[in-house]
Amino acid sequence: MIKEFNILISGVGGQGVILMSELLGKAAVKEGLKIRGSEVLGMAVRGGSVTSIIRIGDEVYGPLIPLGKCDTLIGMEPSEALRNITYLSKSSLVILNTAATIPFTVSLGQSKYPSLEEILEKLGNASGRIIKLDAAQTAQQAGSSLTTNIVMLGALFGTELLPISIETIKESIQARFPAKIAPVNIKAFELGYQACHRALK
Amino acid sequence: MKELTISSDAPGERLFVLGNEAIARGAIEAGVQVAAAYPGTPSSEILETLAGVAKELDIYVEWSTNEKVAFEVALAASICGVRAMACMKHVGVNVAHDALIMASYLGAKGGLVLLSADDPWAWSSQNEQDSRYIAEQGYIPILEPSSVQEAKDMMAHAFELSEEFKHLFIVRSVTRIGHARSDIVLGEMSRERRRGYFKKDPSWLVYTPVQARKNKPLMLERFEKIGKAVNTLPYNQLRLADRAKLGVIACGLSYSYTLEAVKWLGIEDQVSILKIGTPHPLPKELVVKLLNSVGEILVVEELEPFVELHVKAIAGEANIPVKIHGKDLVPVIGELSTRKVTEAIARLTDSKPPVDFAELDKLEQETAPLLPWRPPALCPGCPHRASFYAIKLAAKKVAREHGKDVEPIYPGDIGCYDLAYNPPLEAVDIQICMGGSFGIANGLAHVVEAPIIAHLGDSTFFHAGIPPLIDAVYNKANITMVILDNSATAMTGFQPHPGTGYTATGDETIQLKIEDIARACGVKFVEVIDPFDLKKATETIEKAIRFDGPAVIVSRKLCTVIELREKRERKEKVIPYYIDQDKCNIKCDACIELLGCPAILKQDGKTIIDSSLCTGCGICAQICPYKAIIEEKE
Repeated sequence: MIKEFNILISGVGGQGVILMSELLGKAAVKEGLKIRGSEVLGMAVRGGSVTSIIRIGDEVYGPLIPLGKCDTLIGMEPSEALRNITYLSKSSLVILNTAATIPFTVSLGQSKYPSLEEILEKLGNASGRIIKLDAAQTAQQAGSSLTTNIVMLGALFGTELLPISIETIKESIQARFPAKIAPVNIKAFELGYQACHRALK
Repeated sequence: MKELTISSDAPGERLFVLGNEAIARGAIEAGVQVAAAYPGTPSSEILETLAGVAKELDIYVEWSTNEKVAFEVALAASICGVRAMACMKHVGVNVAHDALIMASYLGAKGGLVLLSADDPWAWSSQNEQDSRYIAEQGYIPILEPSSVQEAKDMMAHAFELSEEFKHLFIVRSVTRIGHARSDIVLGEMSRERRRGYFKKDPSWLVYTPVQARKNKPLMLERFEKIGKAVNTLPYNQLRLADRAKLGVIACGLSYSYTLEAVKWLGIEDQVSILKIGTPHPLPKELVVKLLNSVGEILVVEELEPFVELHVKAIAGEANIPVKIHGKDLVPVIGELSTRKVTEAIARLTDSKPPVDFAELDKLEQETAPLLPWRPPALCPGCPHRASFYAIKLAAKKVAREHGKDVEPIYPGDIGCYDLAYNPPLEAVDIQICMGGSFGIANGLAHVVEAPIIAHLGDSTFFHAGIPPLIDAVYNKANITMVILDNSATAMTGFQPHPGTGYTATGDETIQLKIEDIARACGVKFVEVIDPFDLKKATETIEKAIRFDGPAVIVSRKLCTVIELREKRERKEKVIPYYIDQDKCNIKCDACIELLGCPAILKQDGKTIIDSSLCTGCGICAQICPYKAIIEEKE
């Protein structure tokens, strides 16, 4: 039996959150796994908060993760990771892209953006472990700043917690992108994988 | 091996899909031949999926001008013996209501299915609304799926049921079905394609009072047969637990939360569960069986207490002394979740949830003040921002002449431009429904003394903007009607419409011009403006507001998202703007405070433009009092 495994990806519209779920889901189905998930589209894509949920397991039924039952939170943006803090428990792992996307309301003086230290402290208290990555910089290193989401996907696999093989997810990535940009994305995946793997050692 | 797709004839294979794709797949498997819809979150991807395979599978697919037309298109096909569907969001069902109620009198020949996508928590809607009440009013049976797989299965089956009982069926989806993702097992695909045949039969098809009286008993008869049949449909399942004191009646998606909740509480052997897939009509025999087997009942359903009230009626009628809970323990507002269902069941079973929800609520309250406000906003370079800037500038100027207390009124509508209600634009004073801006403006014109400038989008204009425009002409309402024409139904995913010149399946067609329609309707002041030419746009809007009688402004500029996409295809570079810090007066902030463009930021005490977000629209450069915003050189 495949045990329940809950992944929550949080970020901002335009960061490629939905694409990460699609790639994960396709790979999981190839491996014969049962998948449930959901996301909020519509209003949210216009620069608002975006969350996507992927749940793996034979006894998973609902499209939402019950509070406190998130196994891995992928924070594409620090404050958006913090927004989902109640899904965490002491056995959760947080993979955090430390690059902030400041909403325009901060420039307008209508809200404040917390310091990274504050965010890390809160998330640290609520979870078991945080892995910090500068995914934007790693993406640049891979050859394109547009691959930040793939770096984070690589980091998720770097935890070696998922019941999906590296080959299968790489096949999904290969199939999703045109031949010209697929190698950059594979590179981004590998760099993300290694960064997380190193951090966990 | 060829990659599996939504149109693959591969029964038994598994595919990872969006819920709305699964719904489309269900219709494909049933051999749907006609599909019509108006876009609306969370339903739009259904018709988009069908449009993508329409030619390959020989399906007629259209984006209709509104939901009523969409439903009538499907109804006509059904009358002619062809399998047909219409899909829409819950508020779209209101638009189709008139035809929908009559369709129930008519019944169906070819399988006829209406997909209503409800939106608990109003994620992308103006309200929460439960379409089951509309179905009840019209004696229309509903199927309500508990999972993405079941959504596909029900959709396919609904066409067969519709033909078996000669009656229209509704499938009620919700956001967490349509926008859920899941693996599904594909079924057999019907390859049958029928030729429509219209048989003249006024006693069936023409509704005078005499026909209405004659056909109502037939409708009731059909519905009664369906009421008996639902007891044995696979979507309704009763699982009695030996030691159960509590029975849970779980409708649609709530069933998935219920299964997780009893597992979480570890009381699977203490709770009997009746899964409901047909909330209307309810499987009465199964309900009675459950009511007789336990001392207490909890009805779990999203939004209103629809099933709850019917179950209470069944218990009363059968004289079963059982305590029935529902909305006293399960919220009537918003989506349900495993947590909400767990808490309700825990209270009735004296069991303890494994997670301390009170602690989590405390944590949420502590965290909330730290979180920045991140509302959805008009995109950088959105032409609506420029239109609103010009509208407000012109309107304020005219209003001041009427007296210093006179404020212009800005009725708004449904679409991306809705987002302009947020600061700093604050250009929406009232917004209720599709086309409502022009209708409300008409009423305002007869009771208040102030410039009234209403706005709606191009797709919304075709949907519901034309009758109130004619009303303004006919009844001499002195209002300004602005159509923000970005050549797309942008909010829902850039679907084409009658003003774009092509159809749902990409065929070229006549491109309707909004200005031609306005002139043909008798509007004497009609001007087309380019919102990115701020000066001229403001002057023209001012003239429109000063015009004695209804005036129309078409503010035309392609949606920036599409514009950028096309530029990429043409390999054309986007040239962003930057702020010359030597010229910028840091105390000014006009660009930030007047436009609210996400690309203009404060950073380290400076105002800067994020070149990765800037689309080069140049609006900020036009309003900068210090001429400090400059186009980058290539």
